[in-house]
Amino acid sequence: MRDGRPARMGTDAPAAVAPASGGARAHPTATRGTRPRRLGPRGAGPDGTRSRRRRVDLLPYVLVTPLVLFIIGLAIIPAGYTLGQSFFRVQELDPPTRFNGLDNFRALLADPAVRGSVGNTALYILIGVTLSTVLGLVMALTLQHKFRGRPILIAAMILPWALPGVVEGIVWSGIWDANTGLLNSVLTSLHLIDQYHVFIGTNRFLTILLIEIVQVWQITPLSALLILAALQNIPGELYEAANLDGCSAWDSFRRVTLPLVRPGVAVAMVQAVIATLNVFDQPFVLNGAAETGASLTMQTYFISFQNLDFGQGYALSLLITVLTLFVSFVVVKLVYRPVEF
Amino acid sequence: MISMRIGARSVCLAVGATGLSLVLAACGSGSSSGGSKAASTATTGVTITVALASDPPPKASLDEFTKSTGITVKWSNIDWDSLQTKITAAATAKTYFADATDVDWSRVGQLAKLNAFYPMNEYVDTKSLAPDMPQLTSFTTKGNVVGIPYDASFDVTTINKKMFDKAGVGRPKTMTAYTDALRQIKTKGLVQYPLDIPFAAAEGLSTYWYQATGAFGGTVLDDKGKPQFADPQSPGYKAAQWMVDAFKSGLVPPGNINVTDSQGQQTLMAKGLVASVFGDYSGTVGSLYDVPASSKVVHQVTYLPTPSVDGQPGPNNGNPDGIGIPRTAKYPKAAAKFIEWFTSAKNQADFAGLNGPEKALPAYALPSHLSVVKQMATKGQLIGGDQLATMLKSTSRPIFAGGAPSWYPEFSRAVYTNLHSAASGAQSVDSAVKAIAATADRLSSSRS
Amino acid sequence: MRRRIRPRWFGVAFILAWSLIPLYWALNISLQTDAQVGSRPAHYFPSSPTLRNFHTLLAGSGEIPGQIRRSALNIFVECAAATVVTVLLATLAAYAFARMRFRGRSVLLYGVLATMALPAYATLIPLYRIMSSFGLVNTYTGIVLVYVSGFLPLATWIMHNYMTSLPVSIEEAALVDGASRMGVLWRVVLPLARPGIISTTIITFLFAWGQFLFPLVLSSDLSTQPLTVVITALQGRHVVPFALLSAAGILAILLPAAIAVALNRYIVSGLLTGSVK
Repeated sequence: MRDGRPARMGTDAPAAVAPASGGARAHPTATRGTRPRRLGPRGAGPDGTRSRRRRVDLLPYVLVTPLVLFIIGLAIIPAGYTLGQSFFRVQELDPPTRFNGLDNFRALLADPAVRGSVGNTALYILIGVTLSTVLGLVMALTLQHKFRGRPILIAAMILPWALPGVVEGIVWSGIWDANTGLLNSVLTSLHLIDQYHVFIGTNRFLTILLIEIVQVWQITPLSALLILAALQNIPGELYEAANLDGCSAWDSFRRVTLPLVRPGVAVAMVQAVIATLNVFDQPFVLNGAAETGASLTMQTYFISFQNLDFGQGYALSLLITVLTLFVSFVVVKLVYRPVEF
Repeated sequence: MISMRIGARSVCLAVGATGLSLVLAACGSGSSSGGSKAASTATTGVTITVALASDPPPKASLDEFTKSTGITVKWSNIDWDSLQTKITAAATAKTYFADATDVDWSRVGQLAKLNAFYPMNEYVDTKSLAPDMPQLTSFTTKGNVVGIPYDASFDVTTINKKMFDKAGVGRPKTMTAYTDALRQIKTKGLVQYPLDIPFAAAEGLSTYWYQATGAFGGTVLDDKGKPQFADPQSPGYKAAQWMVDAFKSGLVPPGNINVTDSQGQQTLMAKGLVASVFGDYSGTVGSLYDVPASSKVVHQVTYLPTPSVDGQPGPNNGNPDGIGIPRTAKYPKAAAKFIEWFTSAKNQADFAGLNGPEKALPAYALPSHLSVVKQMATKGQLIGGDQLATMLKSTSRPIFAGGAPSWYPEFSRAVYTNLHSAASGAQSVDSAVKAIAATADRLSSSRS
Repeated sequence: MRRRIRPRWFGVAFILAWSLIPLYWALNISLQTDAQVGSRPAHYFPSSPTLRNFHTLLAGSGEIPGQIRRSALNIFVECAAATVVTVLLATLAAYAFARMRFRGRSVLLYGVLATMALPAYATLIPLYRIMSSFGLVNTYTGIVLVYVSGFLPLATWIMHNYMTSLPVSIEEAALVDGASRMGVLWRVVLPLARPGIISTTIITFLFAWGQFLFPLVLSSDLSTQPLTVVITALQGRHVVPFALLSAAGILAILLPAAIAVALNRYIVSGLLTGSVK
């Protein structure tokens, strides 16, 4: 490392990190906009060129094939089926299956229940991704460096994720319940309210917020784990060097930690987007099918499994997929920076 | 992130692969799954899978069955909501998952339309069952019996007689008297909110409304599925108005905007926080309110004949659970034998505990055989048994005379979401009722 | 680094409170009867704690203990198998994506990652049909295959990130020294990527642990039903046994917690290596 200080991080600057060990590298590696370093076939230089004619290298294909087989067989093909069926009228109560072009999509976009649930789901995503990422970051930072009892804390942190969904629903509805719930009870015991309040079911925003808090409680361990693993990658020497240079704790957080943890944060955020965009259990258990909190996935369930209109159900699943891809892409573009040590 | 250099060849490969998948998918949609051999007609020496949302019968009973018929039973206990999802998934994918499974009264029309179940009348003598099994009619649609009811659940009003007696209001026989009684209980300070109505946007709200409609003297749909409640003078409209008014005028706890039927029974009625549940389920006194581990009002709750408009006992809508044979069953004949056995009067007597606790089925509320209910009442083993037997015989009736329509789940969802939003103030009762009626009109004309 | 003490205590307190208060509430309910649950005001501690719910689940007469035991075995087998296969395949593929150039690399990587966007209902019925046509319904194999296909994309992404962030110079040096590429992977990259592997393992396992919808549809009976399905089945049609379900939930989290404690050393040494390279 040349002078112990990471290159300046601006919002547009490449995420440049000098390698921590190994030989002397004269310059930080700016990796944004260039390909990560790759090894060519054996004996070749770093850019993969050889002076002799290249043979077809089979090893990467061998390594990748099992993965690709799984994905094609059990993800792409079913997805293709869904894609295909979404252009057909597949209404079990009204056979036979027949082609009807974009009608399924048109019907969905005109359905007020679907439209309402888009708005609800947008709120779920906004609240859920923000909260789980911030809280996950806080938890990961707390656990970043060694201290006594850290393993126990990690185990405690994971527990919400391990609780079965049905029990999570019971516990949290026992907390939010308007007639006999814990929150009401605590507030009453503290004399902050004099009668039990209705938290879920009347005000739309409050309803969505409280429902989403339950989901955040469940998914934050995942964000925290992802970010924690990324934090582990940051060499301690960087912090020491920042220290030596006179950086305060906040400075070294801002200039060392935050930029270098971006890949982990990006993965965590994408996972949060997927989880919140597909939220189903929490609103269903806590608020039934009410419009005030119905999510897109709930609509998919109703349309497919109650109305038995599987064509529309597949079409809606497709729309959800596209939405997920879009939002994830935006998140990745904004947050992800490749990092190499 | 990663280099965006994607070669043209790679793009062609990707497009080709996707196209191939689509072609395969389109072809695959018509063919049935590979495992569909012709269903076996074997009735002995086989193992059948039974998937129900209840505990299995005691091992001793099942062993007896296996000994006498040579059929082994594998039981699969799945919760009711998930089981419905599974039944639908298997019906759509035309896949085997069980030889006998749950047929809910609300899905009779849908499952019949899907032709997902064998007509039971071809396997079991349903004609001779009918007199002793009044709720068989709920399972009969277009002449076919889709399932056999194995319990006799119906809607019934429960009251906390201690509170009613303390308020001196007796046993109301009309809806007006009933509502007055509740008001008295409130003003006398016995409970703050005397009535439980589960206004959560879930199925329990729909059945509550059907029961209230019956009390006001009518039905919700006619036999063609057309709505009967759009007119403000109609029983259904009045029932909806009554429910929402009760909520808004402080007869129902405000928190009930989000309380389901079972939640209301367990957390309010069983705790003495309300005085009555208008649309409770038969058997709850024995299975919930009189169980010390679950209730604080032991021996305080009793059934009330449904209040009506003219003072005569009103109807009790039936919502029984049935068992039927999916078309994908491997051993339909063996399954039929099992169903016959499971729903026989003798077994129901055993399950109800009439012949000793080792043969009893836990949480078995009410048999579907009238004769067994009467037996239980005589032996004093059914709390409120006399009342229940009377109701089962004379006032219980199917919610839909010709079986639930094939589009019932979609209709029910319109009912509970609209009634919920009317209670929460998001729309008026009038607009809610109109929305429900519009859904019924649309569904009944587009689907038969 | 000692200077972080004060903010850290807030973090520690937050983690404990946030994670454990609702779980304490579940424990509290599990030690009561349904009659006591939902009192006004609530019982913050069980007024007369009872173990009957746990007894019903573990040692009572009736079907439940057998169901709990068998489904606990099922979930453990399914999750462990799915995790092992997923992490193995993801690591191999991630190495190829990270360090090798080959035709179709970007398409394949993007394509695999993009399948994360597929919601469950988009693939549920088609997968059901596929598994059924291969006779894999109600088998461990079928369930594990579906799990693996669902968790591979995220696992691959995590491992890929990890491997690309490792300094190439070490691997190059090993290659120049005459190691084969698989040797480099095995002896150089994997040890360096241990935090990635451990975190991928934990994450995949926990994802598999929480599955409900897919095993509900893909398993027909107790021979393959995981704990999540059996616990949900404890709900009755008209009566929800709150206390019993809470007790079941406590048992359900004890299992991964016990695994975490048993494997604590590997987790600490693998995941929390800090930055010594």
